[in-house]
Amino acid sequence: MKTKSWLVLPVIALLLFVNGASAANDQAKLNAQEQKVVDYLVKDWGEDYSVTSVDIAMKALKVEPSDEARFRIGSYVKGHPELHEIIRRWGWVTLVLTPDEKLIARALINAERESKPAPSISELAKAVGIKEPDVKRGLAMLERYEILKKDNNAGGPGFTVMPRYIKWEPRLDFVFHNVSLDSGRQFSVN
Amino acid sequence: MQLVSGTLSNEKLSVDDSSPEGTARIHLVFDKGKLVSQEPASTVFFLGGG
Repeated sequence: MKTKSWLVLPVIALLLFVNGASAANDQAKLNAQEQKVVDYLVKDWGEDYSVTSVDIAMKALKVEPSDEARFRIGSYVKGHPELHEIIRRWGWVTLVLTPDEKLIARALINAERESKPAPSISELAKAVGIKEPDVKRGLAMLERYEILKKDNNAGGPGFTVMPRYIKWEPRLDFVFHNVSLDSGRQFSVN
Repeated sequence: MQLVSGTLSNEKLSVDDSSPEGTARIHLVFDKGKLVSQEPASTVFFLGGG
């Protein structure tokens, strides 16, 4: 059978497109409960200057705490800046990390900025005021979001900070301001 | 603060904050727009602007 060579390239391009679109969909696939968290956030953002983070939204909706679910929701927020102006204005990092994760990132970034040795897991636990297993969970999350990179030559817990976060504006990076009302409502502001 | 002394000025609320630098946490409690307590006690709180 004679192959129509003019048809080969468009067919390959189409296959690549379909494959790429399918991969993106898989990555972005949320279950019904996770979608509810995203819907809650989109409705909440901007109300009373709200910049509410994923963990607070999950708590508000009584979603069982899970780093895996939080990462899926956070990745969705990261990949969909068109969802809300708040994502575009404040950036996904502010919205997807917990206070503990932000403080762990800060401790590592400050050490690197000041050319000090990276703090160990136990030093991070002490600095942030959490237990060592929680530091390890936080580091894993920061690595998944590509804020940290595994580096066996690095001291401390064995991560280096991705260069773009070292250059972020000190005092404005990795901040949180969480408001809790007596009524039970919680939200974040910036 | 615009929120605490404005829209939420009739509420009792707490604010958990990152410090401007470093890894310290700050906990502030407000009742009807007034600061009731702060942790750590050494926290310096300014309200105002210009």
